[in-house]
Amino acid sequence: MKKYGRLLLAAVLMVVVLAGTGWAKAEGITIALGSEPTTLDPQIREDGGERAVNDNIYDTVLTRTPEGDMMPSLAAQMPKLVDADTWEVTLRSGITFHNGEPLNADAVVYSIKRVIDPEFNSEQISFFSTITDARATGDLTLHVITDGPDPILPTRLYWLKVVPPKHSKDPKFAENPVGTGPYRFVAWQRGQHIDLVRNEDYWGPAPQISSVRYRFIEEPGTRLAGLMAGEFDLITNLLPEFTSHVPKSVNVLGLEHPIIILNADDGVTKDARVRKALNYAVDKQALAQGLFEGFAQVAQGQLLSPSFFGYNDQVKAYSYDPDKAKKLIEEAGVKGQTIELIGTSGRWLKDRDLVEAVADFWKKAGLDVKVRIFEFNEYLNRLFDRKTRADGIFVVSSNELLDADKSFSAYYKAGGIGSSNTDETLAGLIDAARSETDEKKRENLYHQAVQLAYDQAYFVWLLNIEDIYGLSARLEWPGRVDARLLVREMQVR
Amino acid sequence: MSQTNADSLEQALEQHRHEWVEKLFELGRELKRDKAGLVGVMLITALVLMAVFAPYIAPHDPTDQDLTARLAPPVWYEKGTLKHILGTDHLGRDVLSRTIHGARVSLWVGAAVVLLAGGFGVVMGLMAGYLGGRTDAFVMRWVDTQVAFPGLLLALIILAVIGPSLTTVVVVLALNGWMVYGRMTRSAVLSIRQSPYVEAAEVVGCRWPRVIFRHILPNLTSPLLTLGILEFARIVLAEAALSFLGLGIQPPATSWGLDVAMGKNYMFMAWWLVTIPGCAIAVTVLAINLVASWLRLISDPQEREKQFARHMAGAMRKKMHATIKKELEAP
Amino acid sequence: MGRFIYRRLIHGLIVIMGVTIIVFVVTRMVGDPVQVMLPLESTLEQRAAFEKKLGLDRPIHIQFVDFMANIVRLDFGESLWQKRPAMDIVFEKLPMTILLTAVGIGFACVVAIPMGIIAALRPGGVVDRITVFVSLLGLSVPQFWLGLLFIVLFAVQFKILPTSGAATPAHIIMPALTMGLPTLARLVMLVRSSMIDELNQQYVKTSFAKGLPFVRVVGIHALRNAGLPIMTLVGWEVIRSLAGYSVVVETVFAWPGIGLTAIQAIERDDLILIQAIVFTAAVCVVVINIFMDFVYKLIDPRLKLT
Repeated sequence: MKKYGRLLLAAVLMVVVLAGTGWAKAEGITIALGSEPTTLDPQIREDGGERAVNDNIYDTVLTRTPEGDMMPSLAAQMPKLVDADTWEVTLRSGITFHNGEPLNADAVVYSIKRVIDPEFNSEQISFFSTITDARATGDLTLHVITDGPDPILPTRLYWLKVVPPKHSKDPKFAENPVGTGPYRFVAWQRGQHIDLVRNEDYWGPAPQISSVRYRFIEEPGTRLAGLMAGEFDLITNLLPEFTSHVPKSVNVLGLEHPIIILNADDGVTKDARVRKALNYAVDKQALAQGLFEGFAQVAQGQLLSPSFFGYNDQVKAYSYDPDKAKKLIEEAGVKGQTIELIGTSGRWLKDRDLVEAVADFWKKAGLDVKVRIFEFNEYLNRLFDRKTRADGIFVVSSNELLDADKSFSAYYKAGGIGSSNTDETLAGLIDAARSETDEKKRENLYHQAVQLAYDQAYFVWLLNIEDIYGLSARLEWPGRVDARLLVREMQVR
Repeated sequence: MSQTNADSLEQALEQHRHEWVEKLFELGRELKRDKAGLVGVMLITALVLMAVFAPYIAPHDPTDQDLTARLAPPVWYEKGTLKHILGTDHLGRDVLSRTIHGARVSLWVGAAVVLLAGGFGVVMGLMAGYLGGRTDAFVMRWVDTQVAFPGLLLALIILAVIGPSLTTVVVVLALNGWMVYGRMTRSAVLSIRQSPYVEAAEVVGCRWPRVIFRHILPNLTSPLLTLGILEFARIVLAEAALSFLGLGIQPPATSWGLDVAMGKNYMFMAWWLVTIPGCAIAVTVLAINLVASWLRLISDPQEREKQFARHMAGAMRKKMHATIKKELEAP
Repeated sequence: MGRFIYRRLIHGLIVIMGVTIIVFVVTRMVGDPVQVMLPLESTLEQRAAFEKKLGLDRPIHIQFVDFMANIVRLDFGESLWQKRPAMDIVFEKLPMTILLTAVGIGFACVVAIPMGIIAALRPGGVVDRITVFVSLLGLSVPQFWLGLLFIVLFAVQFKILPTSGAATPAHIIMPALTMGLPTLARLVMLVRSSMIDELNQQYVKTSFAKGLPFVRVVGIHALRNAGLPIMTLVGWEVIRSLAGYSVVVETVFAWPGIGLTAIQAIERDDLILIQAIVFTAAVCVVVINIFMDFVYKLIDPRLKLT
């Protein structure tokens, strides 16, 4: 036993020595992400881990303020419309990539052509689907050509990370990224961490933090343990319950909207009165407070956040009115009938809990609710099944473009991948908005679409979930509405 | 004549009953000598009773949610209430009730897997050992091959594909674990087969199922029982691990492993969510292990002798100490 | 000896073939990996194109022939999730699992053998009873739970060890301890019982009577004779760990090994990576088994190997 004790002592001593030599530079921070990038090529994948790292290595042509307003980044000013389907972009001068390659019109044209090349098979293609060509018209000016009027081209350019034409042809490019951004790539130890260091020649304001290490930890509990042990300075997707237990937390209204798609063509939900009743029956405020501890806002009767383009501030959420819901159900003569509600589990924050809570409210309104929770694959089969639509399908829509077009094409428009209505008027409004280049007119079209869908109650709009980040005591960061983790906006005290 | 016959039958039955009671008492005496075994048996009895009568003992339905009383601490905390003695989880479900109902899943999976795997393994082992020849070669080749499989990985994949549930967990674990029984049974059969009474039975013309089930199997009971109990402990742990990884029992059903997995996200603010089901697993497995090691002791004559000797030596030592003490005290 | 090697190799091949065929059949039953891989809002055309790229639209028997041909070339194709050759990922993660296994089981051996011997010196004594009880406890505590407990205690409360990952040598301590504990417990029990038997043998008593030093008798003679079962157990533990039992520990500590990768691949329906991992695990098991047989033969040449 004596031997054992001495061994233990030795182990403890070793630990103390080793722990002292760890990664603890004064102004370096460690960020824990939920998933490891599968590549560091900024143009091929649609992957949160990759984006979190590359947002700091690369610059985009346009960017957003933390509040979500578009502003120029690599561009010297906002793009100008030359004719109906051509936009002119002018770049800042004197910017170089980390390896010395110049940033000019050729580099941007190259980056656009690279990402839209069908051979390249980029997962980000949906962001650039309207762009057909690009050509340089001067050293720092270029034209971007679209397949018709595309009012949201600036929003698309906010996604365009510019890659260096020479270095990106290197087969090792995906493991050795080179951009123009505020941080340079240092090393990637697969499965463990990625290290970045401040770019001392950055063209913009110099960031305060000198280096960043990214760690990849899938388990939220393990991420939290690391934050509480002082190993991490920033963790993503903090559970609402923990905001009072971590040193600091930041919450920002995020891009995710849980909704329930109602079948407007068939079943008990064919009657608009029933669909309205289903909205009145749900106490959205209680869901936000109870399930999300207040870290969610009630969705205002539309699949948009206030910061999104197309948001209609005249439309408000259906009030919580259980009596009215009961009355409408009785009027429609469907009291006691069965309604099927489909959901999945473990895909989104508290997905199952939300579905079960909604089912409970509907039951109280006088319907017999059949909740069916499927494994994700099977759930997708139901969501995409165009022939037999379930009465209600729970889904969480996420819109990174911050523009109504993406969400509305998928869920509002008849024939969209997750839509359950055949409303031609609504589809017409969305189509018209898609090619309307006049910003005011386009916004107006979306306002009409929001109003129409609201009056018809095609969905039960539930919440707009807030993103919560856990921060160490020394890190200062206000958060961003577009959920990008820009280290240059962070500070260490 | 018939009178005497009935008499002797009754007497025989009576005697038989006496023997049984005698055996039970004997077992009880053995148990008294082995404190650890006694604790194990008591714990298991308590667990089985808890599992069987779970709906009557548990204060709440284990799946009843109460979103207004989420993450309530156990009763001894200031914020704890008597309504939830061991607190509530992230959905406001009663931890005590979930732990009580969790015993059902653990014991049910353990028993079902041991019976399924044991049954299949024993039958295969008997056939291989008794029939020999090609059957033996085939069964043993099968066992050797399957033993060399990366079993847990295959189990995880199969569960992920066919969908994890109580039934699939039992089937997959049984498919994965029958080989031990097969091997053990076979080697036991091979040694028993040589014994005179089996040879006698064969000479008399008993057919092989009769020889196997009447003459060979009864001799295997005690080693099989010990193996089965050890396997039971292993299965309880395996089920917990599968559920922890999300590929075992699925919500809304309860399982201790599942509860630890769900509680781990909350372990810094609600330690009871992880600690209580974890302790439940540890206590259950420990109890089974204690019983298994006790059973091994009493079923192995050599071990028994040693234990007896130790016991006697202890008693003698005590007596000696007493005498010495007395002599010292006496002036 | 030649015949022995030959038979072992044939058996190993059968095992590997069996495992790969099972995995092929099972993974083709995984519904539709295409749906899960692509973003929710992808169009039907994008989905069809992706399916074609994976070759999942071809008849199953052609897929199987292709699959077997690829195995022979040790090329399973690109992981659906990571978009790089699956074997590259496996070769990157496997050393981490081997390292964890080696440290964990090494630690178990270093501690368990002295512990078992000390316990065996006085069977039934206080030390022995404590040792036996602690071992039983070690066998009964679920690993995932023990790991979480370690994290809460040593990383969050005392802040002396890192919570997760594998960046510095300090990172391996908690996962290796967690991994080694059940092995330690089993090993202690085994060393104890075989040493009790050995110490009762006549030759040990004679050696003591001859006045040979204690360490020499116990440590060399008795231990060597108890060596075979101990070796078997250690080999079996290594096999267990490489055959997937490291999943639990790796998940708890986010240790970037083959087990964690396996569970991630399963979660993402990455059937190509799953196939590569299971194939590798089967090869590891077979290789270690053959190696163990050789070691037996070296230790005890009288053993008849078939």
